[in-house]
This record gives sequence, structure tokens and C-alpha cells, in this order.
Amino acid sequence: MAPQPIELRIRLAGSLVVAGLLVQALSLLKIHPLAFVAFLLVGCPLVLAGVLLFLYSLVRPEGR
Amino acid sequence: MSLATALVVALIAVALVLALLVTMRAELTRAPAGKVLAFVALFLLPTLAVWSGFNQQMQLAESTQFCLSCHVMSDYGHSLYVDDPSYIPAVHFQNRFVPRDHACYTCHTDYTLFGTVHSKLRGLHHLEVEYLGTIPAPDKIRLYVPFNNRECLHCHLGARTFEEERAHHRTPTEMADIKADRLSCMTSKCHDTVHAVDTLHDASFWKPEN
Repeated sequence: MAPQPIELRIRLAGSLVVAGLLVQALSLLKIHPLAFVAFLLVGCPLVLAGVLLFLYSLVRPEGR
Repeated sequence: MSLATALVVALIAVALVLALLVTMRAELTRAPAGKVLAFVALFLLPTLAVWSGFNQQMQLAESTQFCLSCHVMSDYGHSLYVDDPSYIPAVHFQNRFVPRDHACYTCHTDYTLFGTVHSKLRGLHHLEVEYLGTIPAPDKIRLYVPFNNRECLHCHLGARTFEEERAHHRTPTEMADIKADRLSCMTSKCHDTVHAVDTLHDASFWKPEN
């Protein structure tokens, strides 16, 4: 069965969340200012974008 | 890695695995249980992971290891081991007057309502200088604002060694001036040997046994 539009959006949201969580996990392995910056400026925005996209896909009118 | 950091990394790892599962198998969300899984994997756990990760990063940013991880701070780290009690940071560090794993932050945060926020903002400015600006030589580094006695008094106020010290009562108003920050602890020729990184080449150093 072909993927539905909401599933494509969930895949995109999931990819953003996975990328963000990966950055966050790696940034916690080293105590360094660059790790802090990576967490704050890369990890957090990616996860938040993924979460917001997921929520948006739930309320989008043409969604299931 | 501390236990707290390990727990946060474990939480992020669980969130990562579930988010990966939903991403790879988005068709799972057609079933009711899959919808719940997607909500947990793409909303609840990531939100929890960001919140706990942020808190943990803030904790790590207060550690001595974090502050000394920039090369320009290494002399300041060495100054904590100077074998001379007139060096104020050294005597605090070596005698555990401040926790050794949070030595920098304990003295360099502001003990006010938004002191932590101000400290973090100063830290961001340090990062800007470190990566985007011109880094001064270690002995040219200065505080953005003069050190406030409030930070010393956070611990010393009320202590017998502070309150009864003769040198703090040389004039009738001296103690009041110290407490009101009109007479600086560190720049009034009293406790004015602080990190003094330009003198380290002549100093001897304490070597802890463990």
C-alpha cells in the first residue's frame, strides 16, 4: 500500500527528531563548550522542529 | 560520565530507538496502538529528552572541567594548585572551601535572583569570544564587572573567622563598608592575590596525593 500523506510527514518529523536526539546524545558524552553549543543550537531546534511537524500533521485538515 | 548524565543519555537512547522505529515503519500509525506509539515516540519522549538534556547540560556547564576545557583557561586551572595561601582561589580550592568539581562557578556566579541567568549569559559571551572573537592572553583577561563582595559574603558572612577578624575592624565603618561592597575584598590591598596567572612561572605547586 502506498504511504499516505500523513505517513510521509510522520517520517519527516521522525527523521528530524532522530537527528536531533542523536546530536543531543553525542553532545552529552563530552564536557566541552562546543558540545553545549551543539546541544543548544543544533540538537534542540531539530527535535523541536520534528515535534512541531508531528503535531501539525495530526491537526492538518486533510490528515487522517 | 556521572550517573545523572548516563540516565539522561539512556532516556535519549530509548527515545531515539522508538523515534527511529516510527520513522522506518510509519504505516504502524494506521492502527490505534501505532498512533499511541507515535505520540510517545515523537512527542512525549523527545520533549522529556530535550528538557532533561537541557538541565543536564546546564549542570555540566557549571563544572570546573567545562570551564577549563578552553585552552585560554588552563593557567587559571593551574593557579588553583599554587602552593601559597595568599592565592585566594588556590586556598579555597585546596581546602575544599568550594567544591572542587564546581570551583569556578561557585565564586563566579552572582548570588542574586537571576544570578544563574546572568552567569549563563556571560558564559555565552565567553563562547562568542572563544570562537568568533579575539582571545586575549591569559594575563590580560579581566572580569566584565568588578568582583562583588556579595559573592564572598555568600559563604563568609556570619562566619566567626570573618566577623571577628581584626583586620576587618581597623576602622569603625570597615565591616559595614565590606558588607555594603564599598570596600572590595579583593582590590583594597587585602586579598588582592587572586589567580595572578602572570606569576605562575615562579610559583610552586601543590600535588594532591589522590
